Amino acid sequence: MPVATEQAAPAAGTAFRTRRRKRKTGGYRNLTGYAFISPFLIGFFGLTIIPIAMTLYLSFTDYNMLRPPEWIGLENYERMFTKDEKFWHALRVTFFYTFTAVPFRLIVALAIAMLVAKIIRGAGFYRTVFYLPSIIGGSVAVAVMWRQLFGLDGAINTILRWIGLPGVSWLGDPKYAIWTLILLYGWQFGSSMLIFLAGLKNIPHEYYEAASVDGAGKVQRFFRITIPLLTPVILFNVVIQLINGFLAFTPAYVIFGDGRPLGATLVYVLYLFQNAFTFFDMGYASGMAWVLLVIVGVLTALIFKSSEYWVHYETKGGR
Amino acid sequence: MNRRRTFTVLFAVLLALATVLSACGGGKSSDGGGSGSPAASPPAGSGSPAGSGSGGGGGSSEAPKPVTLKVLWWGGQTRHDNTLKIIELYQQQNPHVTIEAEFTGFDGYWEKLSAMVAGNNTPDVLQMNFGEYLTQYAKNDVLADLNPFVQSGIIDTGKLDAGIMESGVVDGQLLGIPLGMNALTVIYDPELIQKAGAKEPALGWTWDDFKEIARTVHKNLGIYGSPTLEANNILEYYARQNGRKFFNDEGTGVGFDDRIFIDYFNMQAELIKEGVMPTLDVMQQHSALEDQLIVHGKAPFDVRWSNQVVALSKAANRPLKLTVLPGPNTEMGLFLKPSMFFSVAKSSKNAEEAAKFINFFVNTLEVEQIQKGERGVPINSEIREAVSQALDEVQKNMFEYIDLAAANSSPIDTNYPPGSAEVLSLLGDDIEDRILFDEMSPEEGAKKFREQAAEILARKR
Repeated sequence: MPVATEQAAPAAGTAFRTRRRKRKTGGYRNLTGYAFISPFLIGFFGLTIIPIAMTLYLSFTDYNMLRPPEWIGLENYERMFTKDEKFWHALRVTFFYTFTAVPFRLIVALAIAMLVAKIIRGAGFYRTVFYLPSIIGGSVAVAVMWRQLFGLDGAINTILRWIGLPGVSWLGDPKYAIWTLILLYGWQFGSSMLIFLAGLKNIPHEYYEAASVDGAGKVQRFFRITIPLLTPVILFNVVIQLINGFLAFTPAYVIFGDGRPLGATLVYVLYLFQNAFTFFDMGYASGMAWVLLVIVGVLTALIFKSSEYWVHYETKGGR
Repeated sequence: MNRRRTFTVLFAVLLALATVLSACGGGKSSDGGGSGSPAASPPAGSGSPAGSGSGGGGGSSEAPKPVTLKVLWWGGQTRHDNTLKIIELYQQQNPHVTIEAEFTGFDGYWEKLSAMVAGNNTPDVLQMNFGEYLTQYAKNDVLADLNPFVQSGIIDTGKLDAGIMESGVVDGQLLGIPLGMNALTVIYDPELIQKAGAKEPALGWTWDDFKEIARTVHKNLGIYGSPTLEANNILEYYARQNGRKFFNDEGTGVGFDDRIFIDYFNMQAELIKEGVMPTLDVMQQHSALEDQLIVHGKAPFDVRWSNQVVALSKAANRPLKLTVLPGPNTEMGLFLKPSMFFSVAKSSKNAEEAAKFINFFVNTLEVEQIQKGERGVPINSEIREAVSQALDEVQKNMFEYIDLAAANSSPIDTNYPPGSAEVLSLLGDDIEDRILFDEMSPEEGAKKFREQAAEILARKR
């Protein structure tokens, strides 16, 4: 991605050099600085880096949390890749979930953002209202509500029957169960919407005016101006949401518990959790966590790599 | 402008990385032995009442040295309230003891406990579950042998049901004292069965009678004849009534042959096909206890643990009756199960005081008057008799059923191997569903279950 790297490299370079110079002259001042950020450093190392490093070690062990871990080399990974059907199944479910739910959420978020951007009076109110589901979204209460909505005699089926359609066993049928989770994910579009909204507000109005003068219609303006100028924001949203999608756990756990029906909702992190706390296999679960980290890392890298083909920066004339 | 864009991108990259890292970190932080389970665990709060707790130089002449016991249990709000009251009572009678209570729901309990064990912080007294959990903790040498305290008379087992006490024994060591008893039971709605013109089930009935009643109710009332049966509980009974155990004695695989497994599932497949039993997608909409078919009057039967009858009857709001599971050989299949144990940590420095507390818990009438059967039917026969006078109708039914079950059962199988949690999950979350969804024949299921169970058990030895 020529745009980003070309400019990032020199910028980072200078920053680095200045920092170097300072360190030589004022060691004390640095110490004070470190002291000030020590709460973060302690948290970062104590609660993030060291535990992560620990899991790397544990992933090569047989560890049930009651006995000290026992080194078994690559056995966990071997089982994961060659023997564990459920692992592959959980991966498939998660990929399907992520690659359906994330685009869905982003499309909904963009659509709502464009509507809200048009509102002038009471914009704050609408923004808050649309953001609400995201605040309460991860909570158990919402998951329980979802169970009620999609129950056999729940609200959705009642409405379906009103309009003369047969009710569907949303939660009990393996074909539909995952879609209730996807819908839930899409419904919590608040944070993406806010970011889109900020992006939309950044697009200079003159572009639209100029385009209208040249005779561009609504659709053309959307695809030729809005989308290209929004791509940096889209990139950001895609990355964040993709990561979120792969880490989905709470809704699946609360609505369906153990991956029912027929493992249709056994998302990756749920299976990881089962291994750790139901089957007492923390070593295996740690291995799974690392595999997930690699998958998410690779996907994120791919997206960034691909961004040079589709992300447009205004400054380069919107290629 | 240029620069700002660049920074936006850089910032985005950093943020993305941070999210991945922190999210993964968050997901795993508890295996570092550290950062606690989600459930709240406030200390007892009750402390010791002002006059008696501190000092110890008060009235007591012996003035035993003050000790602090940490007690951990799982349960719902009722149990938390009850147990805190019991602890308060104990502290009043034993002013030298301060009890620090910790409690959570069942979800999160094992996570919390294993983290505590890993952190060398095992509570002195902890609630333990029968089966895979007891085996797991026994194999890892976490629990103290309570036999010495029984011999020295600190724990008085004189009035405790000897059969149920056996369930706490692993390899000759007494690792837990049962706090109550349960048994599998068939719960039925007598009114529905009468209305359909079928015969009420009673001791001595068989699976054929069960099928007949279910079919009659289905045919005459247009409702389901029975819910599907949970393999995790009923298959064990089924294996036992055919003279087998769920796990073999070597702990290397299932203890029954494919024939038993196939018969068990064929019966249900047959009833599902006839519409007498609901399909699994309907069943899964009724997963909560308060939401079972029998509660809604949509089926005359339900099969579950006897202590759940209380909640079920409350939800149904009409009289439900209890009887034994269908025969033949009910007495071979049926068994009394400890609802839960209290165990003492091997690492406890106050094991004797911990044992005294457990003795108080199982041998004191006031304790049961507070609990009212919430931890199952008391195992102390004298207390059982005393409290049964003051029970409501439903609780009385449950107590009477336990007496019936006690007279028509054989000892529980205690040979649960360490990997049994995973084997039960394989059966209950996977294979059973596939068979009942008609995605797999019972024959295939039997083979798959036998093979994969053996694989899991070999790995977990």
